[in-house]
Parts: sequence; structure tokens; C-alpha cells
Amino acid sequence: MHDIPLTWFLIFASACFVIGLLGVLVRRNAIAVLMAIEIMLNAANINIIAFWRYSVPGPEESPVSGPMLAIFVITIAAAEVAVGIGLILLCYRRRASADVDQYDSLSG
Amino acid sequence: MSSELLFEFVYFIPEIVLAFWGLLVILLDVALLRGRPSETRGKILGMVSLVGAILALVSVFVPDMLSFGSATGAPETSIFFGAIFQGPVVERFSAFIIILLMFVIALSTTWNFTEHWGEYFGLLFWTAVGMIMLIAAEELVTLFLTLELMTISLYIITAFEKDLNRSSEGALKYFVYGSVSSALFLFGLSLLYGLAGTTRLSAIGAVLEPQQSVAGLGRNIAGAMSVLLILVGFGFKISAVPFHQWAPDAYEGAPAPVSAWLATGSKLASMIALTKVLIQALGAWASGDGNLASPGWVGILAVIAALTMTYGNFAALAQKNLKRMLAYSSIAHAGYMLVGVMAVAVAAGSRVAAGPILFYLVVYSVANIGAFAVAAWLFRDKKTDEIEDLNGLFAQYPFLAVCTLLLMLSLIGIPGVAGFWGKFFMFSEALTQGEDKHRLTFLWLVGLGLMNSVISAFYYVRVLRAMFLRPSTGAPLKPPTFAIRVAVIGSALVVIIFGLYPTPLTDETDRLADSRIFDSRLKHTGPAPKVALNGGLQPVASPVGK
Repeated sequence: MHDIPLTWFLIFASACFVIGLLGVLVRRNAIAVLMAIEIMLNAANINIIAFWRYSVPGPEESPVSGPMLAIFVITIAAAEVAVGIGLILLCYRRRASADVDQYDSLSG
Repeated sequence: MSSELLFEFVYFIPEIVLAFWGLLVILLDVALLRGRPSETRGKILGMVSLVGAILALVSVFVPDMLSFGSATGAPETSIFFGAIFQGPVVERFSAFIIILLMFVIALSTTWNFTEHWGEYFGLLFWTAVGMIMLIAAEELVTLFLTLELMTISLYIITAFEKDLNRSSEGALKYFVYGSVSSALFLFGLSLLYGLAGTTRLSAIGAVLEPQQSVAGLGRNIAGAMSVLLILVGFGFKISAVPFHQWAPDAYEGAPAPVSAWLATGSKLASMIALTKVLIQALGAWASGDGNLASPGWVGILAVIAALTMTYGNFAALAQKNLKRMLAYSSIAHAGYMLVGVMAVAVAAGSRVAAGPILFYLVVYSVANIGAFAVAAWLFRDKKTDEIEDLNGLFAQYPFLAVCTLLLMLSLIGIPGVAGFWGKFFMFSEALTQGEDKHRLTFLWLVGLGLMNSVISAFYYVRVLRAMFLRPSTGAPLKPPTFAIRVAVIGSALVVIIFGLYPTPLTDETDRLADSRIFDSRLKHTGPAPKVALNGGLQPVASPVGK
């Protein structure tokens, strides 16, 4: 039986992570930054689930610690987006722009 | 549910009280107090919140009162299937965080910066829950969850002064940097989970221990990646250079009580969590053959610590805004504390090496609460919080000015006030711990730290010069509220008492540091404890049938 090896998942997750990180660094729109952050969180989730699927939990371990971690991450990501959109909206109302470069009144 | 599990909830009462009280104040705000002017609601809800905090403070000591253990407090245990650690250090620092929370709540009622008082106090409570559980978390899921509970709530309360541009801007920057760093942190956690095959910190330490090699993290790319990313995540939370950019903006933008909370509670909890994770789980990756420059996190920490204290102090020199200056000073203090963390890592055999960090954290937090109380006072009456707004404070309020002087002296580290002992104990710990080959690195770091303390005197003294030497300018300061008075005078008292007689506090922090969360398993001299190594990442060719 030829299954997909673990490394493929890890390479995929790392690629997603790098794409997300590049998105955060390159994109200037706050909403796009938020999306890039989501990609990074999901890359970590892929990692977690792949590691869990390809390993035998020890006798002391919970058999589902990987999926639990992933489910909590999904929840946290949702909370983070809700808060992030709220903050972006608040800033947008004041400056009529979602461009993160506009927010430079505090510096020094 | 078994009765044992029910029993474990006894340890969990403070968290339950705080979380419940957060809901209660929101309900009160929208139900009973509906339609009242925001000023009254703020005052009433502040009082209600204080009551909740006091209840939580009392409930911290319930396990003690039931006296499960000896006179020295409840023994160390793990509750909820090893997810949460309970012991004297968690108990005392929970109490300390709740006391800080009470000051923050009291300072929040100083002026009317928002209409949404219910949500504001609710979020304050939930950040406190996050901080307390972050100190107690003993497992990666809980660790990440509590870290996020704390920071996500903090993003929102940073933006609470909606009339001001700077508040929303500071919050947006805090949010963007914060969520990127938590994504990086999570990726590091996922790699660590894969390498160790478990989420419990102590089990991770046990799995990694046999892998400790002369090469340290050399050739272990996944491990190195994971350590780096975890350090990025924590570096952000404690605002260490180069992950500090959010801190000045968020501290300046946030209402002063929230800045105080960011500088004290959030930093304190993250610092303890950082120490715990590095020592307990990643102790095997501290350094290679003991040489600090070999691949491992001690070497990275040394660079970060040096950069953080130097950059923080030099950047603070140029600041005109009081809160922004305090933000840079808190960055610098994070750098000093990282030297203490390194000392714990190389401390052979001794479990109390973390004591000086705990002492430093307490003293630093107390001094900062007082300093931000002054900032809250300035903003209430002058609507700005520049350093020059302090001009002539001594002529108007001599006693409070002298108290502020003590706080500033403590932050500099002048002998006679507690800040001096904080630096003294931590740096002398760094110089005495470890072997001879470590000496030179620590000597450099401590030398840099002392030089930085001298530099830091310049910007703290500018505050003193404004208070004592300049004539009063602008609108006069009205008499401070009771909360500001208590915060400034109380913290000055603490700082001077422990400055003149630090022994009770050092004894206490040394006792608390003697905990297994600050105990790297590698330091045991006796036979290695038998731990069932779990499978870890068994390279299985195909997915295991689940």
C-alpha cells in the first residue's frame, strides 16, 4: 500500500506557512493581512494533524491530543478574526482606509 | 464525573469567580444600569468589579484554608488530567495578579473614557483569567489557549478610548503584530508536538532529554525552527527586541489603566510562562556541550537580552510622552529579566535560581502600577500625558511627588529602594550560577546591564527634573482620586519597605521558585527518574489506523 508520506504534508504545511508569512509582510491591506494570518494558523493545523495521524501516542498520552489542539486553534482563529475585523472597522471609520501604512501617527 | 475530579475544582475557584464576574458586570450594565449616564455606570460597575476581585482573591487561598498540605501551603499537584499545575508559586502569583487587577480596576474609574463599562470590566476579568491560567498551564493546548485568551482580550481593551485616534491605532498595531506572532508561535508548537509526540510540558522534557547531545540543536533543523518560533511568540508577549514594535504604540494609545495592565500583568504572566516552557520542556535544547555559544536557546536568549536592554534604554532617551517612555523602559526591563532566565538555564542542581526573576517581576510590577497611576492622573486633568505635564508637581503635591520619585529610583535601581535589590540579586545570580566557561558571557551581559542601568537614569531623571525643578505649566492638576493616591503611595511604600528590608520578599520568592515548573530535569544529580517514553514521532510509513 502506498500512502502519501508524512514529509509531503510537512512540506505542504511549510509552504502554506511561508505563503502566509509573505502575505503578512507584503500586503498592505489590513483585511489581506488578516487572511494571510489565517493561512499561517491553518498551516500549523495541517502540521499538527499530520503528526498525529503518522504517530503512535504513548501509553500515558491522550489518543486525540492532536485533533484537540487543532480544534482549539480553529476556535481561537475564529475569535481572532472577529476581534480583528472589529478593530479594522474601528480604524476604518476614523481614517476611511484599511491600508496599514496609513496608521503612522504614533512613532518614535 | 468522579469525586476526585470534582475535588480538583477547588483549585479552580478563582478562575471561575473571575470569569463569572466578567459576565455579571456585563449583564448588570445592560440590564439594571441601562439608561444611566456613563459616569455613574462606570463608578458602580467599578465597585462591583472590586468586590468580585476581592472574592477571587479570597478564593485563591481556599485550598490553603482547607489545608490539604502542611503549613507551607498546598503541595504541588497537577489537576485536570495534567493540564494545569497547582502549587505555591501559582497560588501566590494568582493572588498577586488579582491584586494588580484591583489596582487597574480602581484606576479605570479615574476618568470617563468609554461608555461601555460593562464590556470593559468584563474583558479585564477575562484577561486576568488568562494570565492566571497562563502561569498554571502545563500543557501546550492550555498554554496556547490561555495566551490567546489574554492577548485577544487585551487587543480589545487597548482600543477602548474610542474618541482618540491613538487608541484605535495602537490597538490595530498590537493586533497585527500579536496575531502574526501567535501564528508563528503556533507553528513552533506544532513542530514541537510532532517531535515530542506529546503536549504535556514535563513529558516533552522527558522525551527530549535523551536527545541532548554535544551538538545541542546543531543539525536538528526542525527542533531549531521550533525553538526559534516559540521564542518569537514569547518575545512578542514580553516585548523583547526585535519583536517590540507594538509595545510603545499600544502603551501610548491605550487608556493609562490598560497600559498599566499591559506592562504588569501581561508581562509578568508571559515571563513566568516563558521561563517555565524553556526550563521544563526545552531544557535539553538549552545549549550543546555547555558552552553558551553552541547551538541552543541560551545563546539566542543572550543576543535577545543584550539587544533588548540596549535598544529599550536608548529609545527611551528620546521620548517626550510619559507612557511611551515607560513602554521603552518596560522593554529594557524585559531584557534584564532574560539574563535571569539564562541564569536559571545554566544553574546546576539548584532549583531556586528562578527566585531573583520572581522578585524582579514583583518589584517591577509594583513600581509600574504607581507610575501609570500618575499617567492616568495627568490624562484626567490635562488630556495629554507628556513628561512636561508633570512640571511643578512637587510644588503642588509634595508628598505624591516624593512617592513618584521613589518609584522612578526603583526603576533605575538606586540602592535603598527595591529595584536595586531586584537587579542586584538577578545579576549576582547570573554571575554565580553555571560553570567557569559560562562566566565570560555572563560577565559581558551583566556589564551591559549595569551600563544600561546608568543610561536609564537619564530618562527617569527627566521625569524627576520636571516634577521638582520646573515651574508649573498649563492647566493645574486637580486633586487625585482616592485610587490614584492609593496606587502611588502604596507602591512607593512597597518599594521603600522592600528596599530597606528585602529579606521577607526574597525568602518568599526563593521558596516559590523551588517548584518543579522551574526545574529542568537535566539538572538532577541522582539517578534519572523513570519516565515512560511515549512513541514520540515513530516514523510510520503509512497512516496508523485510528
